[in-house]
Amino acid sequence: MPHSTTTRRSPPSLAASLRGNAVTLSWAEFPSVKEKVEKLRRELDPLTLVQTLVSYTILLAFLVAPLSSLVLQGFRFQGDLSLRWFTDILTSPEYVSLQSRGGRMFEVRRGVMYIWGFDHGILLNSLFVAFSVTVLCSVIGIAVAMIMGRYEFKGKSIFRVILLIPLLATPFVNAYVVGKVFNPQFGLLNYLLYDLLHVIPWRISVDGLVGLMVAQTLSYYPIVYLNVVASLNNIDPSLEEMAENLGATGFRLFRTVTFPLFLPGLVAGAVITFIFSLEDLGAPIGFIGATANPLAKNVASYQIYSAFAEACTGQISPKTSALALLIMIITVVSYVAVKTYTSRRSYAMISKGGRWSPRLRTPGLGVQAAICLSLLLLVLWGAMPQIGTFVLASTNWATSGTLPTRFTGEFFKALLTNKDVTRAIVNSLGYSFAAVAIMVLVGSSISYVVSKRDIPSKNILDMLATVPISVPGVSLAVSYFLFFSTPFFRGSLLDPLTDPALLLIIAYTIRRLPFMTRSVYAGLQQIDKSLEEASLNLGATRTTTFVKIVIPLIVTNVISGALLSFVYSMAEVSTSITLGALREDRVPITFFISQIVYGTAAVGAVSIGASLCILLMTVQITAMAVSNFVLKQKASFLGV
Amino acid sequence: MVEIELRNLTKLFGDVVAADHVNLTIEDGEFFTLLGPSGCGKTTTMRMIAGLEFPTEGRVLFDGQDVTGLPSFERNTGMVFQNYALWPHLKVFENVAYGLNVRKIPKDQVKERVLGILDQVELEGMEDRFPTQLSGGQQQRVALARVLVINPAVLLLDEPLSNLDANLRVQMREEIKALQRRLKITTVYVTHDQEEAMSVSDRIAIQNHGKVRQIGSPTEIYNVPQDIFIATFMGRGTLLEGEATSTEGGVHMRIGNITLQGLDSTGSIKQGDMVACVIRPENYCIDEPIEPSNVLEGEVEWASFIGPYTEVRLDVDGNKVLVDVPPGMEAPVGGRLKVYIPYKNTIMLPLEE
Repeated sequence: MPHSTTTRRSPPSLAASLRGNAVTLSWAEFPSVKEKVEKLRRELDPLTLVQTLVSYTILLAFLVAPLSSLVLQGFRFQGDLSLRWFTDILTSPEYVSLQSRGGRMFEVRRGVMYIWGFDHGILLNSLFVAFSVTVLCSVIGIAVAMIMGRYEFKGKSIFRVILLIPLLATPFVNAYVVGKVFNPQFGLLNYLLYDLLHVIPWRISVDGLVGLMVAQTLSYYPIVYLNVVASLNNIDPSLEEMAENLGATGFRLFRTVTFPLFLPGLVAGAVITFIFSLEDLGAPIGFIGATANPLAKNVASYQIYSAFAEACTGQISPKTSALALLIMIITVVSYVAVKTYTSRRSYAMISKGGRWSPRLRTPGLGVQAAICLSLLLLVLWGAMPQIGTFVLASTNWATSGTLPTRFTGEFFKALLTNKDVTRAIVNSLGYSFAAVAIMVLVGSSISYVVSKRDIPSKNILDMLATVPISVPGVSLAVSYFLFFSTPFFRGSLLDPLTDPALLLIIAYTIRRLPFMTRSVYAGLQQIDKSLEEASLNLGATRTTTFVKIVIPLIVTNVISGALLSFVYSMAEVSTSITLGALREDRVPITFFISQIVYGTAAVGAVSIGASLCILLMTVQITAMAVSNFVLKQKASFLGV
Repeated sequence: MVEIELRNLTKLFGDVVAADHVNLTIEDGEFFTLLGPSGCGKTTTMRMIAGLEFPTEGRVLFDGQDVTGLPSFERNTGMVFQNYALWPHLKVFENVAYGLNVRKIPKDQVKERVLGILDQVELEGMEDRFPTQLSGGQQQRVALARVLVINPAVLLLDEPLSNLDANLRVQMREEIKALQRRLKITTVYVTHDQEEAMSVSDRIAIQNHGKVRQIGSPTEIYNVPQDIFIATFMGRGTLLEGEATSTEGGVHMRIGNITLQGLDSTGSIKQGDMVACVIRPENYCIDEPIEPSNVLEGEVEWASFIGPYTEVRLDVDGNKVLVDVPPGMEAPVGGRLKVYIPYKNTIMLPLEE
């Protein structure tokens, strides 16, 4: 109400107050400036001051400063500002090549059809894979969302759960399983289709870039699906009914009304998919472990990762830094662009008044059966990595060929008996707990300041807290290495070459902060400002109000955000297998799995990796269940 | 108990003026209402008294002491919010005890005072419920108890009845008024409902576009409005515009063939000025009254039976006039009707630009 008065007044002009006697300038002549200063003084009560300072300190020290040093290094050549490294990358065929440098696509040789993709240089390969994965995930995601969001059928509630199986973390092992299933010699797929059923004339080898695409699509389509279905459920049904009433049905209705209305959700899901694919290390390493095909290595994320192998000497080549910077620019720019776009287009909320239930149609039994069958096929495909992980962990499949021949509990037992494994588990638990503790403090502070306080630069704080979701882990790892292994930090606890533990904790904190802030922010949005004002009015200070009123009201959101961040910290890959590799006794779970899958561990040991993945999945399922059923929170934020 | 003075109180939100040089004094123990349409700045003015908003310019004084810069928690005001702002995670008892606990009052005293005030607002036995388990009216009482228990210097009520249904609203406003009389607490009440304002207030300030347009008792504001906005905002009415032909014994206004005579509400009308004449539909007489009156006759253009009266629109020489006709009387559409309006109920106001 106070904002809607129509009278307007122009602020006093500087020129007017300077006219005449310029010496008598006083605050009184600039009420707006004076007011701003006074307002800032009022807004910055002790609580807000501490929250803002702590948040800024952590974000500046561990996000802005390291990334700035990455930018500096990328733009410097022999002490001068230069685009040398970028022109190097963009002109060398190793990175960008319009002509194929190798690879095979639909090529039949000695009874095997090779579907690998062509090598167009590291950077183009990465972009090509990420783009294809985004398109594939969007198509599958939209199709599934339209079915789940618009039709009622038997077994829907089961599908609602099992469609999310691909989101369960099985780093490296998922791609290993895909590679193993598609193996031309003894893979399950060829065994089934070629040897057993004779429906294909050749054995098929899906590997290389196409292999990465398949593995990533299977893991990421639920991201698009979740975002689209959330948008769909947000569309006021009367909008579609109106269009139908005017004569638009079928595809026309979809094209003219439904699609534009869920487009923001689609774009949000798609950009996250694109970013995740571009920074993904799990698929390349998993594929190399399964098939040793060098084409799977020719993507940017893997190249940056492999540069870390030499990092123990204290050096990362400027070209690697420039590559890390380049893919970071691509991901951050697309993220910020999409965030700006979606914040401008939240139409779904325009219609007000009452709750609505989404339009659901119950088709005939035949159609229902067809829907169930196709969803089941999709789920089987999508859950293949998770099923495969389970089989690997509980049988001798890793060494037995096409199919496992016997069950065994030895790999689960190894979680407790193998000293290296238990150490990795303990390390990961420690890092994740510590990171979550910091996230709870910083994340709730940031969310509180951003949503409830009116201080200048709070938008910057908001951006800094959400943008890490778009910063590739490898880029962050490189920047940490560059920044914290400098002489200034040498030998300190922050020096990754001395001890990477603290940096890993910080890296987890920064990378998973968006999950935390989102969750808390959602809770704070539900708190009307009058609840705090009532407390202030009754004599409580801001700090007391925060402790007695705000925290109790958001506590479920904080816990839910903490659980989610914990899960994603435990399963964190990029910084874990780069920074984590720098000291043997500090390695986290994911590094351990990567080593096993990559093949440096003994043959068959991949099953231990798989059992570690089962452990991760168990943690994840438990956390999600607690969050959903105990705390009644929707804990599946994977959007912009 | 305290006297509140607002001096030149001004609040800008960006370029938008929410409160524009508000000057008024609310006396100790007075029930004072800020009345105006939504967006007029009344809530902002109240929030500046509460210390939840800070003025761009001007001062807030409590008993002559400048409290302009004091945060809300140092002002000892008790505000009841439009949505009650009850904390959903605290029981009724804890909600009411909050202000006392913040003031570090000993536990046994807290209990005594909370139970006492709950008794006063007729909520005894409800102390272990959560706010969501209460009805709208009960929540309203909790909100009231929560501020009264701290013995605030000022009671601030921000549209406290707007979330209640019509019957309860009338009942609650009587209760609030009775409570205020009993406690003799300086009270500021914000509402957009003129009937509500008139029924509870000692004095009313009418605000529009941030500016206070008139301050006075309910009868003054209703009968002697100071401008057209107030005249039309306070109740229904017909607005006729014309030229002042004479100011002898009240203002004479000519409009077409009709001449109307009425009271100069502002005392500023001069012969030849353009004036507006405001006549309230409930003030007409069907039979000629003893008092000197204007006579209007016209054709019934439209009639609608409301219940307590029949609302009739008369066409008097092309001027549309709204008249309330007693329920027993027939006023068929198309028929002619002659009505009288006493001079003292004919309000003359200068026509604004």
